[in-house]
Amino acid sequence: MDLQLNEDQLAVADAIDKLAEDFSSSPVDFHGFALVSPELDAALEEGGYFEIAAVPEMGAVSAAASTTRLAQLPYTAEVALSMLVRPHLDIELPRPFGVIENGRPGRFVPQAKTLIIIDGDNVGIAHPQEGDVEALPESLFAYPMGKLVGTPEVKQLDAETAKTVKTWMRVALAAEVAGLMQAALDSTVEHVSVRKQFGRPIGTFQALRHRLAECAVLTGGVRWLALKAAFSGDAGDAALAALHAQDSATRLIYDMHQMSGAMGMTLEMDLHLWTYRMKALLSELGGRGGQSQVVADECFADA
Amino acid sequence: MDFNWTEEQAAFRAQIREVLARTLPENWEHIAHGPASKEQTVFAKKICADLAEAGLLVPHWPSEWGGRDADPWEAFILAEEMWMAGEPRGGQYMNVNWIGPILMLFGSELQKETHIMPMAKGQTLWCQGFSEPESGSDLASLRTRAVKNGDTYTINGQKIWTSYAGDADTCFLLARTSDGKNGISIFLVPMDTPGITVRDIPSIIGEGDIHEVFFDDVQVHEKWRLGEEGQAWEIIGQVLSLERVGIPRFSLASKTLKDAVSLLKKEGRFTGAAIDQAAKAHAACEAARWYSYFIIDKRAKKIQAGPEASVGRFSTVICERLVSEFVVEHVPEAISGVHPMLLAHHQRGIVAGVASGAAEIQLNIIATQFLELPREPR
Ligand SMILES: Cc1cc2nc3c(=O)[nH]c(=O)nc-3n(C[C@H](O)[C@H](O)[C@H](O)COP(=O)(O)OP(=O)(O)OC[C@H]3O[C@@H](n4cnc5c(N)ncnc54)[C@H](O)[C@@H]3O)c2cc1C
Repeated sequence: MDLQLNEDQLAVADAIDKLAEDFSSSPVDFHGFALVSPELDAALEEGGYFEIAAVPEMGAVSAAASTTRLAQLPYTAEVALSMLVRPHLDIELPRPFGVIENGRPGRFVPQAKTLIIIDGDNVGIAHPQEGDVEALPESLFAYPMGKLVGTPEVKQLDAETAKTVKTWMRVALAAEVAGLMQAALDSTVEHVSVRKQFGRPIGTFQALRHRLAECAVLTGGVRWLALKAAFSGDAGDAALAALHAQDSATRLIYDMHQMSGAMGMTLEMDLHLWTYRMKALLSELGGRGGQSQVVADECFADA
Repeated sequence: MDFNWTEEQAAFRAQIREVLARTLPENWEHIAHGPASKEQTVFAKKICADLAEAGLLVPHWPSEWGGRDADPWEAFILAEEMWMAGEPRGGQYMNVNWIGPILMLFGSELQKETHIMPMAKGQTLWCQGFSEPESGSDLASLRTRAVKNGDTYTINGQKIWTSYAGDADTCFLLARTSDGKNGISIFLVPMDTPGITVRDIPSIIGEGDIHEVFFDDVQVHEKWRLGEEGQAWEIIGQVLSLERVGIPRFSLASKTLKDAVSLLKKEGRFTGAAIDQAAKAHAACEAARWYSYFIIDKRAKKIQAGPEASVGRFSTVICERLVSEFVVEHVPEAISGVHPMLLAHHQRGIVAGVASGAAEIQLNIIATQFLELPREPR
């Protein structure tokens, strides 16, 4: 057992930290829903970071930790699926990835070179052509959202590969949510430390302190379950991590917005850039009910 | 990072399981009810001596004091297996986890010579005299007084909720020698000292666990004061960090959940809401497990964990709660005694947020020290 990053993993973490610096604050004049950064995407591509999961010294743990770190930025790029799902497939697939689940609009669909298409138990892969997808810039979700309008050719994956895709999607989801929770929490802690009412910072009121503290506990838990699942690649671990992520995020999103007051409803404050990415992830892979069923099948199989 | 046990760690766990399987009696499930039943306390004395003999009582202690300098991981693996088995060591875990180590750090030669080896051999039981009727979470307000006359203190006051007081040989007692937080001192008091009266408090968590302890003109020689006068707060600061991630509660909670699911499956009742709640409770157990392991890993690498210990502690409170609630809703017959180990878990689980520091106090610590929020006005 060794729960500190090893030297190679630390080197990656430092490099990611450095790279993240340039993307750590949103432009003052930005008042949109999704803050997408092609530059961030390019920098990650150039640094070879989408391949680290396949490097034995670093592995999926390093990819998950990087995903978590990058999710804390106000800027977004298609990081999680490329870092954690793509390296675990035998087939070479062009990135970025988008997701269409049960025909609903999904994240990164407008720019995706590869679409993961989930219909119940079936998972297929498609490479959309011009006119197959339509962007939904009005979506409140803080990812570039899009829907399928054409009928691209869908290659159905065999059951085993489908399971691999879903498992790593769950790991990716949990790793990303861990970072989003952390960023939303940090932003709210800063807000309640500065904002004064009744002559004192609102962060001195215990009614808020305890909720913040509980959210910190949940955030730590999601982070560890995501790392453990990345390490093992086990379907049960992945479902536990995704379940804890979706369950914890549901609560944290409410609390963070509540404590941010009206300011939290504006596009001026960055809070929504994290909470509305989380909200987009709450329903993925069947939501909590979907993860619970996998936990029942995988973790309680021998009970 | 490596989330796997080393071969040595796995072998150590297997050894403990093997010893337990060999040593626990047939009717253990019935003995294990309640954390401190008479039956269990009697049994604990016997098994602790056996464990000491097998080198499984204090492996993490220095060899000078009967241990073999095993790392914190082994101590934690040991604690996990014991707690999962229903804590056959009884109150001994307090000696093993913190009373012994604290004496090693702060004890005089006489105190160490007198007290440490009997603990290492599993021959003695201690109790912790901290809480008082008017001082629970606000421990620093305690009123039990120790007044010095020549070389002897006269102690008067009352302690409450004292676990194992009925069977303990010695009390790790906090008493006031002057005013304020820095006016509290520690005394190592034999429980058969004249003037000490112990009264059992009937409770949901089983007979013989919690007590009132009265001190009426109890005479204690100054050589049994641990550390300096007024040093208690500093010393117990170290105790509490060991205590917060002391009991691996997630281990029994997790096992209880599996056992409950297994019962439901046999009856074809593991469906619908039971699945959702079991999965959620399982995730909470695993979150508590990995957060606790993260702290043990730091301890093993001699990195200070600080307020993260409270994060670990609160994770554990959540998992205990979800597992207890799951059993009450889905296997209610357990609460009526149909499944003794599930009942034993219930009685241990319900105190998780109160015993050894209330959950809300952990949240206060997390808010102030971990999130570094501005402090509450006093
Ligand atoms: C099974 C068991 C065994 C125990 N064994 C021992 C033992 O061996 N020795 C010993 O000394 N003690 C023992 N205790 C006592 C234990 O340490 C106390 O119960 C604990 O410190 C809480 O104190 P209290 O019960 O007086 O609750 P209180 O302090 O009265 O708290 C009641 C509620 O108020 C909340 N509260 C209090 N202060 C604040 C605050 N500032 N902010 C927000 N909320 C607050 C608490 O969180 C809690 O929810 C044991 C308790 C139990 C249940």
